[in-house]
Amino acid sequence: MRRAAFVDGMRAFTPALIATAAWAMVTGVATVRMGLDVGPALAMTAFVYAASAQLASLPLIAAGAPVWVVLLTATIVNLRFVIFSAGLQSYFRHLSVPRRLVLGYLTSDFGYLLALRRWGTGAQATAASPEKTWFFLGLAVANWATWQPLSVVGILLADRIPPNWGMDFLGILALIALVAPSLTDVPSIVGVLIASFVALIAQGLPLKLSVLAAVLAGVAAAITTEVGSEHGGEHT
Amino acid sequence: MSGVTLALAIAGLTVVTVLTRSLFLLLGDRVKLPPRIRHGLRYAPACALAAVIVPQLVLVDQTMNISLMNPRFDAGLVTIAAMLTTRSMLLAMSAGMATFVLLRALV
Repeated sequence: MRRAAFVDGMRAFTPALIATAAWAMVTGVATVRMGLDVGPALAMTAFVYAASAQLASLPLIAAGAPVWVVLLTATIVNLRFVIFSAGLQSYFRHLSVPRRLVLGYLTSDFGYLLALRRWGTGAQATAASPEKTWFFLGLAVANWATWQPLSVVGILLADRIPPNWGMDFLGILALIALVAPSLTDVPSIVGVLIASFVALIAQGLPLKLSVLAAVLAGVAAAITTEVGSEHGGEHT
Repeated sequence: MSGVTLALAIAGLTVVTVLTRSLFLLLGDRVKLPPRIRHGLRYAPACALAAVIVPQLVLVDQTMNISLMNPRFDAGLVTIAAMLTTRSMLLAMSAGMATFVLLRALV
């Protein structure tokens, strides 16, 4: 049962494989291009395991910023994971603290997106079960096992891939392909449009706060749309 | 940045990863989120990814360019359309990349 759920989780990661592989290589290449030697770059990839936080810290490290500024910036970029951890809390509340730490550490954008897409939002949606835990672990392990080797490849090849190869844009296209299937209901579309708009007008905010502002505005807009359409439905 | 400082930064970043991703898993039952907010969290990842993606599509050298004359913007639209119609990530990404390469050569 557990093995089946774990394997099911690994299989469910398939749609995110290309995106993760492309992003891992881009991040690996960027880590070295932005000034880290191969040794520290490998250590950062192996332990930090958070692409957006890594990519946001690298220019600060290169500029010799104080460690606390680097850590604060990474924390703000990672605030979306705090929101994700609240979304996952009801599924994992029965587990021991070390297990929750491991599942938390291994939570990726893709893992969260794919797990919540599978579990849905019905009455039983937030009920915990061993199958859900092992399914999530399968997703997480598949993500890790895709990410780490390709990051290492990116780091080691950094000096050989021409800058105009378009690796960064391939990563963006992969992310788009990953988000697109979410755009099938009106609240999701409204949320994503509002988030995009806020991300653009908030570009001037320091410390990558634009991403957090966009998430808050997008989620609020999606919920408002959902509530509005529910009320509309009662009258028809 | 010295070797020791860099090691400290990498160790600190690892702690940041663990704490941000585990925060509510650890606080758990002590701090409760209202069900409506928890329900709304389903929308968070798509919004976060959109916030990362869209500026990369429409900001060219810090200037906003939302028009069909912007190959990155067009390629993004084509990728969304291809993904929604074919449901194939490879097809969608190929269509997007082809659009980008073609239009960059033309525009």
